[in-house]
Amino acid sequence: MAGFSPKFKEALSLVQKPGRYTGGEPGCVYKDKQNVDVRMAFCFPDTYEIGMSFLGEKILYDLLNRHENWWCERAFMPWTDMKEQMERLGIPLYCLESKDPLTDFDIVGFSLEYELCYTNVLAMLRLGGIPLRAADRDERWPLIIAGGPCVCNAEPMADFFDVMQLGEGEQMLQDICATVETGKKQGWDKETLLRELAKLPGVYVPSFYDVTYLPDGRVEAITPNRPGVPARVTKAIVKNMDDYAPPVNFVVPLVGAVQDRACVEVLRGCVRGCRFCQAGQIYRPFRERSPQQISDCARELCRRTGYDELSLTSLSTSDHSQLEEILDRLNSWAEADHVSLSLPSLRVDNFSQSLVEKTTKVRKSGLTFAAEAGTQRLRDVINKNVTWEQIERGCRIAFSEGYTSVKLYFMMGLPTETMEDIKGIADTAQRVVDLFYQISDRPKGKGVQVTISVACFVPKPDTPFQFCAQDRREALREKQKYLLSCVHSRKIKVNYHDSATSVLEGVFAKGDRRLGRVIETAFEDGAFFDTWEEYFDYDRWMRAFAACGIDPDFYNYRALGLDEVTPWSHLDVGVSHSFLVREYQKALQAQTTQPCNRQCSACGANKLLGGPCFDYRQDLL
Amino acid sequence: MTTVRIFFEKCGESAYISLLDLQRVFHRLLKISELPVWYTQGFNPHIYLSFSCPLSLGQESLCESCEVKTEQESIDGEAWRAALQPLMPRGITVTKVAPAQAKVGEIATAAYRITMPADSAAALDAYNAAETAEVTKKTKRGHKTLDLKQYLPRIDYTVAGKELVFDILLPCGSGEALNLNPALLMDCLNGQGGAPAWQCQVLRTHLYTASGQDFA
Repeated sequence: MAGFSPKFKEALSLVQKPGRYTGGEPGCVYKDKQNVDVRMAFCFPDTYEIGMSFLGEKILYDLLNRHENWWCERAFMPWTDMKEQMERLGIPLYCLESKDPLTDFDIVGFSLEYELCYTNVLAMLRLGGIPLRAADRDERWPLIIAGGPCVCNAEPMADFFDVMQLGEGEQMLQDICATVETGKKQGWDKETLLRELAKLPGVYVPSFYDVTYLPDGRVEAITPNRPGVPARVTKAIVKNMDDYAPPVNFVVPLVGAVQDRACVEVLRGCVRGCRFCQAGQIYRPFRERSPQQISDCARELCRRTGYDELSLTSLSTSDHSQLEEILDRLNSWAEADHVSLSLPSLRVDNFSQSLVEKTTKVRKSGLTFAAEAGTQRLRDVINKNVTWEQIERGCRIAFSEGYTSVKLYFMMGLPTETMEDIKGIADTAQRVVDLFYQISDRPKGKGVQVTISVACFVPKPDTPFQFCAQDRREALREKQKYLLSCVHSRKIKVNYHDSATSVLEGVFAKGDRRLGRVIETAFEDGAFFDTWEEYFDYDRWMRAFAACGIDPDFYNYRALGLDEVTPWSHLDVGVSHSFLVREYQKALQAQTTQPCNRQCSACGANKLLGGPCFDYRQDLL
Repeated sequence: MTTVRIFFEKCGESAYISLLDLQRVFHRLLKISELPVWYTQGFNPHIYLSFSCPLSLGQESLCESCEVKTEQESIDGEAWRAALQPLMPRGITVTKVAPAQAKVGEIATAAYRITMPADSAAALDAYNAAETAEVTKKTKRGHKTLDLKQYLPRIDYTVAGKELVFDILLPCGSGEALNLNPALLMDCLNGQGGAPAWQCQVLRTHLYTASGQDFA
């Protein structure tokens, strides 16, 4: 075991699942560091099993490593036992490929997928021996960057990052690496490098902006403090999906990941415009990949990785205008190659018999429908254009095809919600149970299991509901209790979780720069792995807010004025403020908006494409 | 139907791959290789794949094996080996692929080469001097106490520089047959002041059948 130091071997012998920390998986990229100009550490601030499930990293790992003189490697947050051993033995956080510490890299990049992973970012920097705050790092330290959906309101983490990437990384991250390469060769100082980086589309340098506040605590203005820095950063996008072929090889984890299968992204963005959904807004405009590219790349990927399960991923896979063709192409080889297809993110309103047949040829898995709200009125408020008739039709097909369990997703705490809407959740589930027993060709000798999974709604930036206050914990607890009292069948299982994490999520989602101190304080007080229930400590967070003299309620329990300067107003994801206001007002009147492939609602995101998103002359549906 | 045995070394990084994970890894690699392996004929067809006497996590081996089936009458072992090797994770070296000659149940003993820091010599001397060396073995039916001296009356070691090395032979069986993990000995020596497990290297060098033949 020549490659492993005795300290490393000692640590590995004392932790659970050491395979998470050794690297060596098939598909890893190794390069000779003597011949490499730019080294990037791609860090995922959660465990290996979760990080290795993340498609974004696979896409960027592949794109960067295609450059002969750049080397992108991976690092994950070690689980608590490994973290303890690394601290005790003085092993700094390292990348799995070279086992070199983060400080040996030019760029250390973090993917910010959800708000509660923020403390893990600080924990990883600390484990890597890197100062937390950007202001404390000069050019001798790696450039610390971030990307991912949370960057659309990056402000709570603004103090820790040198550079944040707004939007899609395919081109932007390559541009950043190229600029860092030039900077290294020309010996730029950090200020020069940051100024050059700030010129790139989508690149946000937080230290180049000053934030002023009103006496009541709201943001007054966000202004660039250097000449030549844009007043608003516009998100970077891939205009044509087919220009960036999906990766045809993955690093295949040896220790099972949560999502351990081949996946191909079939489309980006979403036409639906659900008003609670941040992804549906910030990934606009809607863009599709061609069936040919999807099928060819999927086949190559399965052949190279040996995966026997292929997932077609996107925000709403059944909205691909050529889904039937995609499935026909995939089915032409999948069975012979021993590959089964799965389609997450199906919608009940266009769920069809042929779709079920085409996805269950090889293996049958569970079915999940997102109804989101229990009554039609509330579904109209949130613009989830799904009706009971559609849910009924979807379940009827599923039961006839032999499914006996259905999962229904709901949210509670939605704007304008009443107890009537909560009761509607239980009623919907009961009607699905009743439906099963009415169907003559239902699976024989089996009962039905309906699982309702209820999440707490968190108002997110860049959505029409960003103006709304979040429901208080007490109110959510009442609603959860009431829901349980409305369920009378043992065939219905209710899943919900405590709202404490949702509170924090709400605060950081809509937070401003002043929250950086709170995150740092909570971290120094021992907070990390906040996404994991067993490590999340609500009281510790409340202590941190108190110590910093910051009232968390100001951020999540306060409705925003429609003309208020939001902490994210300088970050332009495409959809315009006036569109969000329009949608918010329609929501209050329970008026729905058409999906954007049927009718354009002028959200403004098409400016990123430089033209209309759809050819409305064609009959698309 | 021919049963094909794949022999491989499992060292370095790959020593930390558990049996469960290793099965999944091999399943994928066999699929990538497009070798004519036999799929089970059930509702969810999958590659028939069975590992013999898997190692504990962290231990290394020169003689691991697994078996698959093929409908072909005979195979070109070297071609199979060449097809599989490039697909292997770091640390796994395919040494031989050939039709199985013995059944897994025929494995009787395993040889291990243990390398420890030289200052563990005192613990070995103490072991050799002792009348008994009782250890507790975890089994499916609870804990069982047994005397290691019954199987290893004496351990002769050689010291080379900072290390000491010795070879041992332990019962190795599957199912109801007795199987002794060298970790039992390492724990026992550790209790006598010997080095902790992570400072020791456990390398399985051979698997033997009851007649003393190499398992093949």
